[in-house]
Amino acid sequence: MTERRPNRTLGPDHDTFWAYCNQGEFRLQQCNTCSKIQWPPTPMCNECLSDEFTWTPMSGRATINTYCTFERPYYKECPPPWEAILVELEEGPLFMSNPKGFSVEGKERGTPVKVTFLDCEDDAGPFKLPVFELAD
Amino acid sequence: MANRVVEHDRLKKLKDTVAVVGVGESDYVGDYRSGAKGNAAEKGSGALNSYQLAATALKRALDDAGLTKDDIDGLVVGGPMSTERTCEVLGINASWCVSGDAPRGIIAAVQAINAGLCHTVALVYGNAQRSMNTQYGGPQAMGGDGILSYVYYAPWGMTSQGGLYSMMFRRHQLVYGTTEEQLGAVSVAFRKHASMNPNAIMKERFTIEDYMNSRYISEPFHLFDYCLINDGGVAFIIQRRDMANGKQIPINISGIGWSEMDIDSTQLRPRLKDFYLPAHHAVREQVYPMAGYGPKDVDVYATYDSFSTHLLFSLEGFGFCEPGEGGAFIQDGRIEIGGEIPCNTSGGMLSESYMQSWNHQPELVRQLRHQYAGTEREVKGAEVGQYVHDVAGKCLSVIYTRGN
Ligand SMILES: [Zn+2]
Repeated sequence: MTERRPNRTLGPDHDTFWAYCNQGEFRLQQCNTCSKIQWPPTPMCNECLSDEFTWTPMSGRATINTYCTFERPYYKECPPPWEAILVELEEGPLFMSNPKGFSVEGKERGTPVKVTFLDCEDDAGPFKLPVFELAD
Repeated sequence: MANRVVEHDRLKKLKDTVAVVGVGESDYVGDYRSGAKGNAAEKGSGALNSYQLAATALKRALDDAGLTKDDIDGLVVGGPMSTERTCEVLGINASWCVSGDAPRGIIAAVQAINAGLCHTVALVYGNAQRSMNTQYGGPQAMGGDGILSYVYYAPWGMTSQGGLYSMMFRRHQLVYGTTEEQLGAVSVAFRKHASMNPNAIMKERFTIEDYMNSRYISEPFHLFDYCLINDGGVAFIIQRRDMANGKQIPINISGIGWSEMDIDSTQLRPRLKDFYLPAHHAVREQVYPMAGYGPKDVDVYATYDSFSTHLLFSLEGFGFCEPGEGGAFIQDGRIEIGGEIPCNTSGGMLSESYMQSWNHQPELVRQLRHQYAGTEREVKGAEVGQYVHDVAGKCLSVIYTRGN
């Protein structure tokens, strides 16, 4: 089943991120010079000012940093109660997402999760959205 | 990490060179209750405009100071107003003019006055945000243009300030075991203060039980953790200290500090991983040594409070208590008038008026003038006041002291 979602930010670099997602791959920009991983996509490395990146596969392993539950509707596509989680990727970046197959209620920080993809669509068409499920 | 510039000798030269000599604001209550039968004004009514609100506040600040608009040679403009149009509407031919929030405006004006670019600066703010139905979350948040860091996360349903700050408090809960009941002390205290303030919009007191029974907006935040959305204007006048006419007791600007944490801000790392503590610490190292005071000397305190949790984090960051102890620290009336460190004594943005850093400044000035002497609102013998501005990509602070 395809879920309707609020619009993504699209454009150069953003399109590349979503194109990998659509292949079921979770890749982020990594600087060719200093190795810093950037998220969200950026035109230039803010560590060393290089503009040469490789889209590096992330392991998909992460831990829960924090979360909240919206009880007021902000988007018609996201009816309350709507849970958002911030996870810390094994590689370092913090990634805003949603839980899949579990509720955040009572979850401890550091709870291990792993990336999976949800079939979604917005005004620009169908896409795969990275979300997180509990790791075994 | 936040940049740390520590230049005590240079800062100290600016100490007490500039003073606040006049304050004023619009009628928050009257403008809010302008709907039918005294109900709250409808959002998007277009009834008020920002320039008119700013003009009302400025006239009152000039009267308070015993000055006329022709005494003003510098202007700081806050809210959704242009500097050019503001100067035109107010009839001021400034020699110096910038845009900014209240603390950025104060720091810029202290510099400009010391540089000899102007002598007497009016800082004015007007915001008809309720009449204009300004949105701070969802598809139209701040124009919907991705101005705010979290707007990128729309596909995951997360674009609101309340979402961000409720996640920040949740993180504090997960790390330190802080409870919602503990956080409730903030909105209970600010509402109590508002109940003593005739110009506060929300005056009805409530208890911790009422707080706990109120609905969640973004759990763990309840309704009462959120600020108001209302129209209003604020103005104050700061002047070279040696030019003050003496109509009011001048309130000196004795300390200033500023630090930002912008790297990885879209990931929300500075707040959701670091609690903004490195920036708090950097500002502490400027504002306290410049003023010659520390947190133990502060008699009356105010923090930016779009959400209750701002107070918890700023008290920890500025050394009133240790990181993690904030939940316990704010209990038992400690942050209320009559307590050890009265905070947001006008009711703040949670209960007085959502003036986005502007309404806190007149309140600190009046407390230090002892203008509420003999009333329940008085912070007795207040000599040192501090404002902390800790929101979005910045932390600033101003310390005021009572002159003589
Ligand atoms: Zn680099």
